[in-house]
Amino acid sequence: MTYLFQILNGIGLGMLYFLLAVGLSIIFGLLQFVNFAHGAFYLLGAYLAYEGVERGLSFWVAMPLAAVIVAALAGVTERLLLRRVYKLPHTFHILVTVGLALVVQEFVIIVWGPLGGNVAAPDELSGVMILGDFIYPQYRLFVIGFTAILAAALWWLLDRTRLGAIVRAGSESPQNMALLGYDTLSINTAIFALGAGLAGLAGALAAPMRGVEPFMGVEALGIAFVVVVIGGMGSYAGALAAGILVGVAQSLMATLWPEGARLVIYLGMAGIIMAMPRGLLGRA
Amino acid sequence: MIPILDRPLVQFGLATAAVLILPLVMRSGTLASEILIFGLAVAACNLLLGYTGLLSFGQGIFFGIGSYVAGLGLVRAGLPAPVMLAVSLGVGALVAAVVGWVSIRRQGVYFVMLTLAFSQMFYFLAYTFSGITGGDNGFLDIPRPTLVGTRLTDPWTYYAYVAVLFLVLFAALQRVALSTFGRTLLAIRDNEARAGAIGYPVRAFKVAAFAISGAVTAFAGALHAMLIGVAPLSNIDYHTSETLLIMTIIGGSANLFASLLGAGAYLLAADALSAIWPRWLLALGLLLIVITLFLQRGLWGLIERAIALVTRAPPPDDPARPVGTNPPVAHAPEVAR
Amino acid sequence: MLRSARAADGPLVIGAPLPISGAFAANGKFASLGAAFAAREAAAALGRKIVVTDIDTEGKPAPAARKLQEAMAQGTRLFAGGILSSEALVMGKEATKSDGVFITTAGADEITGSDCNRGTFRWSVPTFGAIAQTVRPLIEQMPQAKRWYTITPQYVFGEGLLSAAKVVFQEKGIEHVGNSYHSLAEKEFSGYLTNAIAAKPDVLLLLNFGSQSSDALRQAVSFGLKKRMTIVLAWASGLEQFEALGADLCEGVYFGVQYWHGIDSPLNKELVSKLRESAKMTPNYSFAGSYQITKLLLDAVAKAGSAESPAVIKALEGLGYSGLTGHEEIRAADHQIIKDYYLLKGKAKSAMKDKDDFADVVTAGKSFLSPESAGCKMQQG
Repeated sequence: MTYLFQILNGIGLGMLYFLLAVGLSIIFGLLQFVNFAHGAFYLLGAYLAYEGVERGLSFWVAMPLAAVIVAALAGVTERLLLRRVYKLPHTFHILVTVGLALVVQEFVIIVWGPLGGNVAAPDELSGVMILGDFIYPQYRLFVIGFTAILAAALWWLLDRTRLGAIVRAGSESPQNMALLGYDTLSINTAIFALGAGLAGLAGALAAPMRGVEPFMGVEALGIAFVVVVIGGMGSYAGALAAGILVGVAQSLMATLWPEGARLVIYLGMAGIIMAMPRGLLGRA
Repeated sequence: MIPILDRPLVQFGLATAAVLILPLVMRSGTLASEILIFGLAVAACNLLLGYTGLLSFGQGIFFGIGSYVAGLGLVRAGLPAPVMLAVSLGVGALVAAVVGWVSIRRQGVYFVMLTLAFSQMFYFLAYTFSGITGGDNGFLDIPRPTLVGTRLTDPWTYYAYVAVLFLVLFAALQRVALSTFGRTLLAIRDNEARAGAIGYPVRAFKVAAFAISGAVTAFAGALHAMLIGVAPLSNIDYHTSETLLIMTIIGGSANLFASLLGAGAYLLAADALSAIWPRWLLALGLLLIVITLFLQRGLWGLIERAIALVTRAPPPDDPARPVGTNPPVAHAPEVAR
Repeated sequence: MLRSARAADGPLVIGAPLPISGAFAANGKFASLGAAFAAREAAAALGRKIVVTDIDTEGKPAPAARKLQEAMAQGTRLFAGGILSSEALVMGKEATKSDGVFITTAGADEITGSDCNRGTFRWSVPTFGAIAQTVRPLIEQMPQAKRWYTITPQYVFGEGLLSAAKVVFQEKGIEHVGNSYHSLAEKEFSGYLTNAIAAKPDVLLLLNFGSQSSDALRQAVSFGLKKRMTIVLAWASGLEQFEALGADLCEGVYFGVQYWHGIDSPLNKELVSKLRESAKMTPNYSFAGSYQITKLLLDAVAKAGSAESPAVIKALEGLGYSGLTGHEEIRAADHQIIKDYYLLKGKAKSAMKDKDDFADVVTAGKSFLSPESAGCKMQQG
């Protein structure tokens, strides 16, 4: 029975991991840009939600607001800084985003202090759901449902709309897009902001579960990379499948062999890269 | 580039001068030793990044393993330091060859991710097998080496010991870089497909570069453990890999003296800044951004420009490829949804 | 200026090696304030200028060891600091090697156990005492709670707490219904909590510390466990942790702590009122621990009439004094300070008398292994 609950719990975790990783994946897919600052956007989203709630905003306002602010900041960063870096070797993608992540992290410590804090789950979701011997916080259930709806919306956006078509075409041949008269630079900015905003949203959603502390971005980045690599860089469905896979694996390992949980996850990631270089669902 | 500065004798002369000047200008022999030790590890990292175009997050693995090997040999087996330094070279080469052999099967971002996965795996191995490594407490009580019967506890005496070894290995790395082997690495870096088409066994060369780099890094790790008396878990973690990469890029280009420059600048700045400003990592972050935008050839590139300015020579070849000149990730058609 | 540290007429230099930057910067900041506060007080009594030099360990053993060596090369011999076990262990060894003195508040049992040495002293109670002073009184208070579940970080420190708890369980006839190990990097505890729920315990005993214990507690509360079982955090970090968690989460939860500003001792009352008056702040554990060990070092200098290490060590060994936790005594055989450990119970927000009044002291007491059982073989000379 415990295993069944662990799987359920793992799916809940996995949805959050999906949200965290899908932005990284989209940014890589379109911009071929390795973003080591992705965890920093998650961190910022969590702290903005925290600040909002501390200032008396309802969580339902603070959470989307945090995501929008993160997206806006990311858009500005892309325009002013990252745009100049795309053409450089990816060494510099990594260097500049590692630098950016450090700046954000230290900025968070300067503004909010190094101690971290707590974000209460909204009142209507502060209870638990009881299923026989199994207990599950209502807030976590909400996160699963909310992320599922979001995942569907995102799929619709990228697969069924004109924007999605432009994005997909742009990722395959930016030159052609430019020739057709599309402003690829603006599209790049929009996609970067969208990806970062999703990370910010993941941070805001995670805050009532995990609390906030200045080093949460580093952990999130590690998970996001694992999910993206396993799922396939640039693959939306891959991020979803891999997110849930990693979440379930992590949760099951808590019962089976907790000491080795991380080891197994990274071994799995290395194994997948070796066996399926494009990841589970990346197309060759 | 300014050719005269890249001559091997000039490079070695600069390294020797640095080794001799450090004791005159620095108060702390311990920090000076650390600069040389990291200088060595960064030069080894440069062999991969600058010469071969391989951006590896695995250098910390070898640094940490060197520390643990030194600890195990010196404390548990009671072997003398020179033996353990030799053993750490060997073990470092071996592990690096295996990590390299697996990782180079993938390219670009996937290569980076594989080295990242390896780095995490070795960290958790060291963490899990705490009976051997001391786990989070670290492997304690690692002694300084002895020379003619005296233990080198004095900071500047140990510095002298490190300095001699540093120059020997620096010269050895120079030989490697200048050999046909080294020139082939550069050819692989600049155009891997062509190097392969000409008939070079590209993979074997990359694995060899990994092995040499890993050997020297583990050697530096062993010297570091003897310096601070402990092989801490942090020596094998991801941050050590990251720091070594950052130092390499700060130093700049495929030039071994630049690596010493990078290590020295980083450590001195970190030491000075952390004493006056707890949030000094913010400055480091900004520095990385500035380097990316304006100083892609690192401090060494800056020095070259400065010299060119003073001597009114034609400005250095700016399009010269910056560090880690693997081509931008190929514009992949692999995007899928 | 630093070179004159050993000269009797110059200022007395105390090194405070603390994680000023990095992941434990919060602790480092308050500890640095505490050391400075102790030095200001002592300067008048000692009639000598005292300089406390912060040394940023970055929370890592490598910079800690290197910077301690540097400080000693410049003549500093007396150190009070070291918050993390790994940095404290290596700094104690470095200090002893060069004939220095190092007092710490770090947690690892080895500091006054298998790795004890002449130059290292430790203020905080080891794992054995922490368990004895939290688990034992709770078993007595709640005789009906027979089933206990533990969550333990897998490394030496966690093992120490766990094995001490198992001994108490066995002795008291408690059923240990399960344990979950986790790694030091873990932040997600829902999987372990699911394990715990399945075991149906009466008490959930959390044996991790710092932000991990906060994460574990926060998630346990969100799983509604507070209503189903008693939650105990055996090694809490005091006021800092209460502030990060907030009163609502802490209400009804038991916490084992090394220090609490509500302790009823003369020195503590004095410190609390002075600090509230001068800085409008309440001493937390990082501040108080650092204050106490710095004060101890300076008192020993005064008592010895010398800042030379052998004299200071001699003055410290066996010293009994009125400390923050009441009467404290330094055991000569292993340099462990014998002091109280406290069991607190978090109170409701409405019952708090001021913003820092998060908890009441339930019980307090001293429990220590003998130096031999702790594994200390002190080398003399």
